[in-house]
Amino acid sequence: MQQPRDAVPNLKALQAAFGRSVRSVIADDADLQLLAGSDDATVFGERIDVYRNNAWQFFLTALECTYPVLRRRVGTDFFRQLTREYRAQYPSRRGDLHWIGAAFPAWLASRMADTGYEWLADLARLEWACEASVAAARRDPVGLESLGRFDADLLPHLALVLQPSLQLVASPFPVWSVWQSNQCGDASSPIDLDTGAEHCVVACVAERVAVYRLEADDHRLLQLLCEGMSLGAATEAAATDAEALGRLLGWAFGEGLVVQIVSPFRSS
Amino acid sequence: MPAPVRGAIPAQAGIGLRSPHHEAILNTAAPPAWLEAHTENYFHAGGPAVRALERARARFPLSLHGVGLGLGSADPIDRRHLECVRDAVRRYEPALVSEHACWGHVDGEHFNDLLPLPYTEEAVEHLAARVREVQDFLGRQILVENLSAYVSFASSQLSEGEFLAALVERSGCGLLLDVNNAYVNAANLGLDLDAFFAALPRHAIQEIHLAGHARRRVGSRELLIDDHGSAVCDEVWVLYEDVLRRFGPVPTLIEWDNDVPPLATLLAEAARADQRLERCRAAAA
Repeated sequence: MQQPRDAVPNLKALQAAFGRSVRSVIADDADLQLLAGSDDATVFGERIDVYRNNAWQFFLTALECTYPVLRRRVGTDFFRQLTREYRAQYPSRRGDLHWIGAAFPAWLASRMADTGYEWLADLARLEWACEASVAAARRDPVGLESLGRFDADLLPHLALVLQPSLQLVASPFPVWSVWQSNQCGDASSPIDLDTGAEHCVVACVAERVAVYRLEADDHRLLQLLCEGMSLGAATEAAATDAEALGRLLGWAFGEGLVVQIVSPFRSS
Repeated sequence: MPAPVRGAIPAQAGIGLRSPHHEAILNTAAPPAWLEAHTENYFHAGGPAVRALERARARFPLSLHGVGLGLGSADPIDRRHLECVRDAVRRYEPALVSEHACWGHVDGEHFNDLLPLPYTEEAVEHLAARVREVQDFLGRQILVENLSAYVSFASSQLSEGEFLAALVERSGCGLLLDVNNAYVNAANLGLDLDAFFAALPRHAIQEIHLAGHARRRVGSRELLIDDHGSAVCDEVWVLYEDVLRRFGPVPTLIEWDNDVPPLATLLAEAARADQRLERCRAAAA
């Protein structure tokens, strides 16, 4: 079985042949010859299936763990089919399985274009936001009373730093309703797409993912605050008013989503 | 984050930290001597797993065991991945850091699996260079684990034991000896276990893994699949006793990653390893 040194294929060529064999349904004869030699090529060809199956299962399981609601909505078989197609275009690019699903929402948007199921891509965006939220750092929140330390005329100039886990997702489809119904185990409830747009905020609170639904105006205002705009400038840019701002701030502070108040002069 | 436990991992049995046991491990009356965690599960800044490891780390000595670097890949090492390993090592201050004698990516694609290397002069030189690169980057020695494999390469020039011994000599790494992997390789590939263990440098072996395996028909014959999904089998316990006689008492991990049983089952497996470690110490006294 052992070969003289001058006949040894180099490591890169062997790994490329092995990779092609794992990727393909049936390994190429020339690759098997390179890997195993003529005597053992048949056995090698059979056993490469263990690695082929592992690579597929790891990929599938990673995607299933990231998109459990989507999988339940479309069913196991169709989810596997989508995974096969996605993997062909977006194979794993990292040694950390966490990233396997990163490109899935954008790919799914393209895959589902003009099918009537475009909302599936937005549901995937919401689930990826949950994944990102869980992985993000947690910071101690500050309370609403912190605002009281500032002079009233300074309030419009203050900006907020929000929890790193906070993610915003807006969709023309009722994706929050879909996600929420699946949390109760109701995977098959019909979706009334005429319900229209929903605007979601994802954050990790007390180590659990929370997905909130906001009104469109509040969502826009929160997005501007996330971008670092001051309270006054964000309110103006969102074409809303102090009452709406107060309502949003009361909710955000109450949920522990604000971690710092930034003044042009000092911060808390 | 609470201050981590410092100091070496004792020559006793430990178990893997798995999510079903995050709470129970802190409250059990007879805790294991140490814990091992998969490095890649702690690459992120937050999350329940991170919180659990932070809490456990304050109570137990820790080993971080990586599965994603693909040390033997001919393509360049993934620097982002390596930086994440470094960050995890700085954050959790493990007593041991380990990876595998394998490769995992080629032409930009990662297979997220532990793929076998040919036992060639080129491969051992390449792997040793990569281990040195990682050790330089982390500023510490790593352990490299022997792999379970289902194929062998026509181009191999060295035995598995010779390959690992050369790796230790050229890189200065330690070895993590997985006894189940050796047993699986003996069954699947005809590895000569006596020659394998005899070739390994005793001083390098700093950790042992014990795990269960499955049996699956693949093509024309049955293979042992290293699936970490069941109890350690009797034959591997016997082999473990032989390993302890050869190498002395070494920190030993019960690896059970799939179909994870109740904590009590894992601790009972750890107790079986501890009994053998104790007998080994008594015999040497």
